[in-house]
Amino acid sequence: MKRMILITLCMMLVPGLTIAAEPSAESVIGDALDQMRGLTSESVNTMTIHRPDWERTMTIKGYTSGRENSIFWVLSPPKDEGNGTLKQQNEMWTYNPKVNRVIKLPPSMMAQSWMGSDFSNDDLAKSDTIVNDYNHQLTSTKTVNGKKVYVIESPAKQQAPVIWGKLRFEIREDNVLLKEEFFDEDGELVKTMDTLEIKTMGGRILPATWKIYKTDVDDEYTLLVVDEIKFNIDLPANLFTRSALKNPPR
Amino acid sequence: MGIDLKIAWRNIWRNRRRSILTILAIAFACLLLVFMLSFQLGSYADMIRFSLRIHTGHLQIKADGYQKDKDIRKVVSDPGAVAEILQAQPGVADYTFRANAFSLLSSHDRTYGVMVSGIDPQREARVTTIKHVIRQGAYLSGGDNNEAIIGNLLAENLKVGAGDEMVLLGQARDGSVAASMLTVTGIFSSGQTDMDRSVALITLDTFDRLYFMRGAVHEVVAVCPALGDVKPAQAAVQKALDGLKTRRHLRVWNWQELIPGLLQGIKIDFFSGIIFYMIMVIVVAFSILNTFLMAVFERTREFGVLLALGVTHGRLTRLLLLESSFLCAVGMVAGITGGALITLYFQQNGIHISGASEILKSYGLPEVLRPRLSWVTIISGPAVVFAVTFLTALYPALRARKLKPAAAMHAA
Repeated sequence: MKRMILITLCMMLVPGLTIAAEPSAESVIGDALDQMRGLTSESVNTMTIHRPDWERTMTIKGYTSGRENSIFWVLSPPKDEGNGTLKQQNEMWTYNPKVNRVIKLPPSMMAQSWMGSDFSNDDLAKSDTIVNDYNHQLTSTKTVNGKKVYVIESPAKQQAPVIWGKLRFEIREDNVLLKEEFFDEDGELVKTMDTLEIKTMGGRILPATWKIYKTDVDDEYTLLVVDEIKFNIDLPANLFTRSALKNPPR
Repeated sequence: MGIDLKIAWRNIWRNRRRSILTILAIAFACLLLVFMLSFQLGSYADMIRFSLRIHTGHLQIKADGYQKDKDIRKVVSDPGAVAEILQAQPGVADYTFRANAFSLLSSHDRTYGVMVSGIDPQREARVTTIKHVIRQGAYLSGGDNNEAIIGNLLAENLKVGAGDEMVLLGQARDGSVAASMLTVTGIFSSGQTDMDRSVALITLDTFDRLYFMRGAVHEVVAVCPALGDVKPAQAAVQKALDGLKTRRHLRVWNWQELIPGLLQGIKIDFFSGIIFYMIMVIVVAFSILNTFLMAVFERTREFGVLLALGVTHGRLTRLLLLESSFLCAVGMVAGITGGALITLYFQQNGIHISGASEILKSYGLPEVLRPRLSWVTIISGPAVVFAVTFLTALYPALRARKLKPAAAMHAA
């Protein structure tokens, strides 16, 4: 009889234990995003666009606040210095110092590439609304180098204004995004983002080098390297505005 | 045989009203077929000529892969060498150069993604009709001057008119940002909705500087003296291009490959036309079948008498077929003559379809349509009518073979 009780107890506990061990898919993704952005962040990044016969490297200064707002400026090459991009919720503006105008990106341009890279404007604008626009489901877990990795599949919600049909994430248990895959409506893999290097920066463990590439072309990719990053700093209240876009901080 | 012809001819006019109605049905079918076919084929020819001369041209030379993915780096790096090849081609009447980039155009607070094309104003005017469809302002004057002409729908969307300024923002060939203020000098309305809504034209020199092209272009557009010259010219030019030593292989595309939709649209329209004609021919066939069947039923006693007098079954059948051939021949001559006259009249004067001009425009059709009479349009429709009529007439004629003289004479 004692044995019976013990077994019953175990059976009751075991499923409970596994549930407690697996966090919800939403929180895994949310935590991974927060890990990279903090409350606020200031960063310097190097973006290299590689094509078979051509390569171009740009340095980009970026600020983020919460999950919604971000602003970037090109620091180099000198020809493009001062070109800026502002993102508020799902809207984007771009600024060019040569014509001294701030232009709002129309919806038709959202699928176009950002600064000629393999990132689309949509990737930037929607990068953090993914939590709300997709249904997230934890499909499996695996162990890589002794750390647990969650595999999450996220089909787009019915009415969500997004260009992807499905996303697939691999996120390590310490909130490091290892891989993100972009599928179209037919379930075909279109684009992949791989984390090539993980570093501790600004007191957090982060993906420090990303490689993003399309499935159907060889030898074309964009490499994004985080050179410096600081978290939870005080940013001026008016930083994420169109007028700030015209005046990059020195 | 001579007497048979005479009897057949007289038999036709024994029931004057029925024969005339049958002849009219055949004539009407022939007339309609001649006119409709001439009209359809004529408007297709117009549609192809008209829409190709707006922008596409007959042939385009592009770097490998540019047709599929309009990547600004997939260039024709030495347009001069291509020009030499085209110059030497008798099958090419003229050519022009273009460079394209998908970019943003922005007025005060409106922004649209458009295809910005750099064109050589003088050459372009010889190859396409763009210069003649400027509705407001002026055509590009040439040189590096930040001038632009845009489609009327784009102008409406951007809320700009001739003389206004817009901002252009795009990506140059070297990956840098191409940005400039442009002045709208003119607004065109080509009738092709896509082009009027999403194309801005600037001079090739301006494009070269803004997009850092270093003399390269994306398309060399050529026109041939006639549509029939396109295929041979394509083969000849491709052969010459294959001999060029360029870093990117160059390929010639003909208009059917460039805008497959045009030919497909024509095919769909043609087949729906064919279905309509088939229904018409079937209706005519039934009316003729009715006439002939009635004739045989009514004339059973007459046939019985003829058979009793020694006319063979074969001769009787031949007589009936002769009758139907006469009906058919008279109807066809009348129909073809009428159809040809009507077609020739409209070929001279054109058909103005008021109210439908919007639809025609979207198909790239001119507002005046002209049918075009040819041997094909004269012969093919009536030939089908003749064949179907003859087959229809066979049935009652063969029925007459089964008649027994005595029984037939006693028939009611």
